This record gives sequence, C-alpha cells and structure tokens, in this order.
Amino acid sequence: MITIKKITLSWLLLISLTLVSILISSVIDEPRLLTFIALFIVFLKAQQIIDNFMELKHAPRKWRFILLSYIFITPCIIFLIYII
Amino acid sequence: MANLSLVVSPKSINKRLPGDLAMWFFILAELTVFSLFFIAFAVTEQFNVEMFIAGKSMLHTFAGLINTLALITSSFLVVLSLKSVSVGKSQQSVYLLILSILAACVYMATKLWEYNQLFVMGIDIETNTFFTLYFLITGFHFLHVLLGIVILICIAVNVKNGGYKESITGFEAGASYWHMVDLVWIILFPLIYIL
Repeated sequence: MITIKKITLSWLLLISLTLVSILISSVIDEPRLLTFIALFIVFLKAQQIIDNFMELKHAPRKWRFILLSYIFITPCIIFLIYII
Repeated sequence: MANLSLVVSPKSINKRLPGDLAMWFFILAELTVFSLFFIAFAVTEQFNVEMFIAGKSMLHTFAGLINTLALITSSFLVVLSLKSVSVGKSQQSVYLLILSILAACVYMATKLWEYNQLFVMGIDIETNTFFTLYFLITGFHFLHVLLGIVILICIAVNVKNGGYKESITGFEAGASYWHMVDLVWIILFPLIYIL
C-alpha cells in the first residue's frame, strides 16, 4: 500500500523534474548531453508514475517489469536515433 | 509419499494488479502505438533537421510546461481520490475527482489555445512534415485526454451514487488509464518541446 505521504512526495518530485528539464534545455548547449539528461529525466518521471501512481510497485513483478521496460526501451531507442 | 506443501513467499501474498487485466492489455497496446509514433518522430527529425528546429521554435514551451503540470496534478488528484473512496470517504473522493477534471480542462484549454495560435499564423497539419507529426501525435493524445475526462466523470457520478462500496476495481481501471495518458505526455513533452 502506497501512503499518501509517498504519493505527495512523488508528485513534488515530478513537478521538480519537469522544471529541471526546462531549465537544462536553456543551460546545456551540447545536444547529446541535453538529449541524454532529458531522456533520463523522462525515465525517472515515468518510473514514479508507474510505481506510485499506478501502484505497480506492489503488483505482480512481471507487470511492473513490462511497464518499466516500455519507458526504458523507448527513450533508449530515441537516444540512439539522436546520437547516430 | 512426500507431503507436498505450497510455499508462498510473504512478499507475494498481497501482490495484486490494480484494476482489470483487460485494461492493462489496452494500456500496453496504447503505449506501443505511442512509442512507435515517438520513434517515427525521432527518425523523421534526423532526415529534416532544419525543418524540425524551425518547427519546434514556433511552439510555446511554457504552454507545454503548463500542460505537463496540469496532467501530473490531475493524476495525483485521481490517486488521492482513489485512496479516499477505498476508506469510505465518498464525498471527499468526488471533490478530488472534480479538481482532477478541472486540472485536465486546464490542459485542454491550453492545448486548444496552442492550436489556435498556430492556425492564426497560417500553420496547419499540411504545412510540413514536422507539423503533420506534431498535430497527429498531440491530437491523438488530446483525444485520449478527452476520453479520460469522460471516464473520470463516469467514475465521479458512480462514487456520488454510492458505487465502489464493495469493489474499487472499476475505479482502479479508470485511474490506470488516466495515469497512462499522463505517462505518454511525460515522453511527448521533451521530445517535441525540449530536444
């Protein structure tokens, strides 16, 4: 069972990471580094939603694994496309 | 004969998939479609770098930020609403769902304003490849938000009428769909507005 405190912290983290992603886009000039950090932030945010909002952290492991694999593989493919 | 007993790990006892199994297959199908859209967008960008840079510069990053915050907050409120109904606080659950729907409406209004700004500049889905993909992907997501709002309204009416007293599976399924819509936007936002 995910507690309300944990959900609230997760929400605050999601907002903070969103603001960080906007900030880095105006600070970092190197495209590859920007792409890597922005997509890493995507993974962190998506993991918060899957674990705490969808409550898959306490669901059967295979379902959590399947959802996490989507939000890991898709950004990885996008990153590879951008750096090639 | 050996006495075979079923050994159950304490960690696995309470592991349960929230909502309906069918909804999770639907969510996986939706994520697959959106992932293919995103990959297609990234690949097309590599063949039209200057066009995509020019196209992205015409978008409102601040509007994208508002949309992101609105969807994250809406998702958060749905989780709180689900928690409320699971402990029998139906009235509180309805209020939280209404707030969640309002947050979703902020997204809708901002997105429509963005579209209107582009239309005023004479830009539409046929302008170039970037805007074709932009309108297709964001428009497809917009329709999902619209469906999500309808689902949230149905859940709110159900809670108001005393539903989900015995089982919250239906609520969980609707909430999971809504979080999926949020999840898609989390990837869409940096891909189209930041990178």
